[in-house]
Amino acid sequence: MQGSVITEQFLLSELSQGRREATEQIYNQHYDVITKWIVNNGGSAADAADVYQESMVVLYEKSQDEQFRLSCKIGTYLFAVSKHIWFKKLSKKQTMPGALPENAGELEWAYEDDIKIHQERENYYAQLNAALEQIGEPCRSLLKAFYHEDKSMQQIAQGFGYTNPDNAKTQKYKCLTRLRKIFHNVQVK
Amino acid sequence: MLTGNDIWILAEAYVAGTLAASKLNELKDRLAVDPQFAAEFNEHVNMLRSLEGAGKQMRFKSMLADIQNSRTKVQVKPSRTISLKTYYLRTAGIAAAMALFTSLTTYWVIQHNNKRIASEYSLLRRDLEKYKRSQNQLIYNLKEQQNKPAEEARYTGTGFALTNDGYLVTNYHVIDGADSVYIQNKEGRYLKAIPVGFDQASDVAILKVEDKNFRFGKTEVPYTFATNRRKLGTRIYTLGFPQDNIVYNEGYVSSKNGYNGDSSQYQLEVPAYPGQSGAPIMDANGTVLAMITGKESGSEGTTYAVNARSVLQVVRNLPKEEAIRLPKANKMSHLTLEQQIEKMESYTCSIKVYKR
Repeated sequence: MQGSVITEQFLLSELSQGRREATEQIYNQHYDVITKWIVNNGGSAADAADVYQESMVVLYEKSQDEQFRLSCKIGTYLFAVSKHIWFKKLSKKQTMPGALPENAGELEWAYEDDIKIHQERENYYAQLNAALEQIGEPCRSLLKAFYHEDKSMQQIAQGFGYTNPDNAKTQKYKCLTRLRKIFHNVQVK
Repeated sequence: MLTGNDIWILAEAYVAGTLAASKLNELKDRLAVDPQFAAEFNEHVNMLRSLEGAGKQMRFKSMLADIQNSRTKVQVKPSRTISLKTYYLRTAGIAAAMALFTSLTTYWVIQHNNKRIASEYSLLRRDLEKYKRSQNQLIYNLKEQQNKPAEEARYTGTGFALTNDGYLVTNYHVIDGADSVYIQNKEGRYLKAIPVGFDQASDVAILKVEDKNFRFGKTEVPYTFATNRRKLGTRIYTLGFPQDNIVYNEGYVSSKNGYNGDSSQYQLEVPAYPGQSGAPIMDANGTVLAMITGKESGSEGTTYAVNARSVLQVVRNLPKEEAIRLPKANKMSHLTLEQQIEKMESYTCSIKVYKR
């Protein structure tokens, strides 16, 4: 038992750093049980994969906090979060009353807060991306290259034709200032 | 005063944690005394953190998508073909023919096992042709000569009262295709019943006793119906008619979902035999949790039961002229188990189905 707790904690810390091997291990370990459950509860295979991936993202975000310790097994957590997300999706889709799994409204929602925070964050990121789309070139590509594609300033300087990384950095700060202005306008809307 | 770029540089170093200790202290002091600067600085920090977070999340998501893709690729990888030597061909031919025959037979069997009920799932109505008539039944026959149908029943099941004045519930599969349906109550009286509503999907049927003066017992129905789902391990008992006498069994809720994860059912661990389809599942307080519908063949006690919510759904969908008022008060909760069972006997009945 002790061994498995340590393994799970290790897997989580690997996951938090976005390591592929650990992520793949977690993903494949619980995939069948959880997606099968969703399919049995009225989802398609694609729905099941979507919901399961979203629960993985929730776990990933939780793991970003260094203080984070899981109080249950990874599989249990993913299953609870997947169920919750799926019930929410179902109740949104629902046009006919009665077909919803009957305890959807009464189930003590496990990890309700985690999912709320996740959804707020998703909204926030969506707004940020919307601002990023409006910013215009070369800022859009430059910021995307740095933040989304995780490229170094050296690579960016070469790719965008700046004479040295410092020039690229100066340009990046200007872009950030513009992004900040646009983002606050977007948020006001 | 910091220029536009300087504040970004400072914020970036702060987020990355690369700020020198002296600079960090300087920054902290300024944040403490200059609220306007603090607000602006925090905004810059938040922006950088969000950009980093969004980027990380995006990379994580695309990694997940990639993992998912590699999964599906593994599954569709073509199987290895092994070439057969000529002298194996005859054996292989026979094997292939057998396989084809088996799969066609299986297909035929599944097709003929109608609807969703697959081969592992056996319905618990009792096929009377297989059973000898018992002594008891002969006695009842003599008593109720004028009221009893001429032939022997083809199938039997169990039912239980919804109201005292003759509405009762059983499984749809018990009465499916019936020419006529009779119930036999505690005293052994035969009474003709007519179906007033059903739902094939949840396997629920509601019957009404034709005789307007009929009452199940002296008082209103003493039990109520559970509206929420019970926890795993809840102790339950059931009363049914696997034979001509009422039989008591007890067990527990073993899964919140039924056959193949069906969420309108419970999976129970309680012995059930043919004839017990439609039997009530009660908890210790005398509340109806569910109604037995079938069992897993090849297992001793794994039984499936449609939950009370689905029964209530069918009750609610009854036509207006058949609208019924269910009992609101549970009069059994203070009774001992033996007293509960004694009371339940009046409101549980055997169902006899006749078809040609």
